Amino acid sequence: MGNSLVAAKEKHNLKRQSTFGDDNESSWDSAVMGWNPHGKWHAVASWTWDAQDETCGICRMAFDGCCPDCKLPGDDCPLIWGACNHAFHLHCILKWVNSQTPQAHCPMCRREWQFKG
Amino acid sequence: MVDFARVQKELQECNRDFEVSGIKVMPKSDANLAHLLGTIPGPLGTPYEGGSFKIDITLPDGYPFEPPKMQFATKVWHPNISSQSGAICLDILKDQWSPALTLKTALLSVQALLSAPEPDDPQDAVVAQQYLRDYPTFMGTARYWTEAFAMTSSLGVEDKVLKLVEMGFPEALVRSTLVSVDGDENMALEKLCSG
Ligand SMILES: [Zn+2]
Ligand SMILES: [Zn+2]
Ligand SMILES: [Zn+2]
Repeated sequence: MGNSLVAAKEKHNLKRQSTFGDDNESSWDSAVMGWNPHGKWHAVASWTWDAQDETCGICRMAFDGCCPDCKLPGDDCPLIWGACNHAFHLHCILKWVNSQTPQAHCPMCRREWQFKG
Repeated sequence: MVDFARVQKELQECNRDFEVSGIKVMPKSDANLAHLLGTIPGPLGTPYEGGSFKIDITLPDGYPFEPPKMQFATKVWHPNISSQSGAICLDILKDQWSPALTLKTALLSVQALLSAPEPDDPQDAVVAQQYLRDYPTFMGTARYWTEAFAMTSSLGVEDKVLKLVEMGFPEALVRSTLVSVDGDENMALEKLCSG
């Protein structure tokens, strides 16, 4: 059906590109505490070692900000992790999952998308 | 509804890296970010080298959940690109799209397609046949098309302005239009004619 070129190159570029400037560690640390009252420390740790930058790979807004459909970051616009350890705004990944039938794949790594239990 | 905040960020990001990638994306008009014009340099060591290829980009309402629509505005001779319409056969622009891809990564993939034709999965059957059966002729035609259609910037800016003013367009409008299409006289003419 098509030509799968530069998959590797793309992935490399994605990693490099998904930073949009001035978000720094301390800013998302406080955001993590703010939006997650249950304190999912393990999830946070896996997110950092997985080298995903601090922006949502779908809307490209910072994780300490909210998705384009929300006005305020925090509890109303939570983050969610996949089994593959990639994180997105819940609203962003839901839009993607709902648009993909029968099976959605993670936008970052293309593994079958499963919400992390 | 297109996520225009994301598109804005993408444009900034892409154009910031222009020196390295040679890839550019510009809105076709200031009023509408759903119609864009991409530019990719022909890859070195291919018959497309030295060419500057324009790509029409239309963002569907569902972008980035649906892939951008891309087609060559510059005529190109390649098995996976229609020599008639500029339509591109590339999986990431179809079922392999991911919302984590961007206009820039998509254009990089199109550029990679120029380097690595896949004649077994053609968009243009005539070109693909030629590629498979008569490679030297394919290379010659691809080169000729690059020189004829993708190297239009040989004229100086003033020459282009003069040419378009002689056609009856006001000079100020000609200049601003040329800037908006990155100096491409054919695109400028098209834009001037469409008002
Ligand atoms: Zn998001
Ligand atoms: Zn939200
Ligand atoms: Zn993933």
